Amino acid sequence: MLVFTRRRNEAIIVADGIEIRVLRVTKDAVRLGVTAPADVPVHRQEVYDQIREENRRAAAPAGLPAGLAQLVAHSDGGS
Amino acid sequence: MTSLPAPVDLPRVETAFGTFDVSPDAIISFPAGLPGFEECRRFLVLSSRELEPFKCLQSVEGPSASFLAVHPQRVCPDYRCVLSDMDRARLGEPDEEALVWLALVTVLDDQTLVNLRAPVVVNPGKMLGFQLMPSNSLYPLRFELAELC
Repeated sequence: MLVFTRRRNEAIIVADGIEIRVLRVTKDAVRLGVTAPADVPVHRQEVYDQIREENRRAAAPAGLPAGLAQLVAHSDGGS
Repeated sequence: MTSLPAPVDLPRVETAFGTFDVSPDAIISFPAGLPGFEECRRFLVLSSRELEPFKCLQSVEGPSASFLAVHPQRVCPDYRCVLSDMDRARLGEPDEEALVWLALVTVLDDQTLVNLRAPVVVNPGKMLGFQLMPSNSLYPLRFELAELC
């Protein structure tokens, strides 16, 4: 891991055009500003992790279970 | 006369929900993959009469990335999701009316959960898609599906 010491208003640059700037430092929090190209997704790690976990649980279902098949049939009848 | 080879432009995709014929122009590019499946960059949205209103979001790269999905408004009629400028750029500046929205479904033994917080959105005009990851969403990550609208 690369480790930097940065002061307020100092930044690091990652690859081409991604800037991570320290905006504010308090006792136990750091406010960061990220400037990145529109096609580079930037997320809070805990949000990403939560969605990744949910996607893994959703992946590779065995098929349409009986309960859902009933919902589908019901929905067909209503349309 | 020898039998003709299977047409290469119509590969067959086998899923847990049946076998589908697909043409290569049905392939949707997900430049960032899906969280947890970052290596999967090309997906298909498969539909069948038997499956309606559900669809199957299927990765071209491997059978493991296969999801049951449903339009969020079939679960929650008032569902609305606002795209940021960055989201629109990632979708290639789409016609928002034409966007395809899919909420991923988790099928458990005793319940079916729908991820309304992080929907997949596809721009059919550019065949580009990604999973939205709003940090402040009103919608639950695990909405228990009881009925379809």
